Amino acid sequence: MIYDEPIFRTLGDTAINVEFGDESSIPINFRILALDFALREHPPKGLAETNPQVRTLGLVFNPLATTRARIVDHVKALIAAQGTVETLPSRRVIIPALYDDPWSRECAEAFGVRNNIEYIAEFNDMTVAQVIETHTGCDYWVTGVGFVPGAFMSYAMDPGKRFGAPLYRTPRTWTHARLLNFGGLTSTIYPIRIPGGGQLFGRTPIEIFDLREISPAFADGPVLACAGDRHRYESIGREEYDAIRADVEAGTYAYRVEDGTFDCAGYVAWLAEIGEPAERLDPESLWKPV
Amino acid sequence: MLKVIDGGLRTTVQDMGRRGGQALGIPPSGAQDGFALRIANLLVGNPPGGPLVVRDDPGAAGLELTLGRLKLKALQDHVLALTGADTGATVDGEAVPCWTSFVLREGQTLACGLAQSGARAYLAVHGGIDVPLYRGSRATHVSGGFGGLEGRPLAKDDRLPVGAATAAVADLAGRRLRPDLVPSYAPPMQVRTVAGPEEHHFTADSVEAFYATAWKLNPKADRTGMRLIGPELSFRPGRPHYLIEDAGKDPSNIVIDPGAPVGTVQVPSGVEPIVLCVDSPSIGGYARIAVVITTDMARVGQVRPFEETRFVRISHEDAVAALAAQEATIADPDIII
Repeated sequence: MIYDEPIFRTLGDTAINVEFGDESSIPINFRILALDFALREHPPKGLAETNPQVRTLGLVFNPLATTRARIVDHVKALIAAQGTVETLPSRRVIIPALYDDPWSRECAEAFGVRNNIEYIAEFNDMTVAQVIETHTGCDYWVTGVGFVPGAFMSYAMDPGKRFGAPLYRTPRTWTHARLLNFGGLTSTIYPIRIPGGGQLFGRTPIEIFDLREISPAFADGPVLACAGDRHRYESIGREEYDAIRADVEAGTYAYRVEDGTFDCAGYVAWLAEIGEPAERLDPESLWKPV
Repeated sequence: MLKVIDGGLRTTVQDMGRRGGQALGIPPSGAQDGFALRIANLLVGNPPGGPLVVRDDPGAAGLELTLGRLKLKALQDHVLALTGADTGATVDGEAVPCWTSFVLREGQTLACGLAQSGARAYLAVHGGIDVPLYRGSRATHVSGGFGGLEGRPLAKDDRLPVGAATAAVADLAGRRLRPDLVPSYAPPMQVRTVAGPEEHHFTADSVEAFYATAWKLNPKADRTGMRLIGPELSFRPGRPHYLIEDAGKDPSNIVIDPGAPVGTVQVPSGVEPIVLCVDSPSIGGYARIAVVITTDMARVGQVRPFEETRFVRISHEDAVAALAAQEATIADPDIII
């Protein structure tokens, strides 16, 4: 559910979470990102950093330079001034990917499970071709960046094309870098070689985390994804994968990133039109947000 | 310049960490026991850096030794100080005390043994370890491969550049921390927390058990997280259906959250609470029963495998007061005698 008023949760002496609800949805994320932009324009004294995620904005502050109450009052005033989120800055990023790739297969074999894309297909009552068609068939909204350096969370913007698969019960001890994967309904890419439990279904030749920072796409740092980006995946063959990979390694690949603005209010109206509820409720729940 | 003869179990270059990386998934890193590193820096006349987590200033970089063991040879005269866990260090076979600065002459070898009490020792050198800054800090993040010396732990034959001296060796040697401020790492470690944002997801009995238990440190603990062995904790019933769709059946799973800051105690599936540490992920997805106060993360960093930790809940106001008191101590010139 989306709360009537955001809840300010205390995390120790230096952090606050501003929680807008307990569900994950793109409309709730619009409010988080709009508040994050407002805080960047009007930062209160003593605010050290912000961490926007799907339904919560994380704030870190210096309690010796300000107080928790002052930060909360400042944020409440910004929320009150905000109203409906009309638009947000949003880049569109094209991500080429080799689906049903040998590296995802290798990971599955190494951990004694079947090729994950076949499991994803079966879990969703689809063929492998339909998995690829559906995943490349709409934009994915990046709700937040984080976990390990460069990782991000994204959700299909077309609810009719939203699908996924449950995480592994026991996570792998390693995963190749740059593998596309589902964790529930979240679509993401492993930026570096790390353990993980996502269901693997493809590999991108482009870097998601690049310490070399040589491409203009990495002008602001080593991380490609940015909260509020719209990602669009493009299915490529092995030859194109190898050609792009060679360009990426040589530092000559031109990342396909387009600056833009997204019509958030129009998107929320479209969701209503297609009958997608603005929020999820459970009248029988005993669970009340505290 | 210092030459590494033996890098030990895991020795990394650390300062007080990197600020502003959370929204990129970049953890703060830095010293796990920030108090010990800052005192080591003060002893050798280096800037100690700002308080842990807030990280206004990373301070000078030193070395963090995991469970001790390190052998370094000086390629010129240096003033050093060792703090944190006592490793029974020697210079050319002669014992050197902890929490006291000393001179390592050109050609001499410093040897640190295994830690006898506490889990991490810190070595500071006058001038600081002069590796390049990455995003405002020299702290090593090993899995990301950045910061410190080539983003990795020290290895045999590494050469550690040291920043220019700004004081005479004779003026800096033999300085020590006021003895009443030298911490004891004897278990059980008392660690203060404030209530976590999902404390209300746990049953009242489980919250009570969390504070009544002497938790044993799982030996797999590292700078990402410290897992604690103890009773299983349970959750209140009545989880909404939409949450089950969003985050799964396990009652410890919540929708993705900025799990940071450092100090957050998550309890996946109710088993083995994890204290998130300086290299922890910037987001979480498990119910958080408590958050360790900034000041006491230093103590968490000194718990040895299988040693016990007890949590004590305090108010937010008292947590801030503890931080203010610690910063006043660090800023007091009379603590170094």
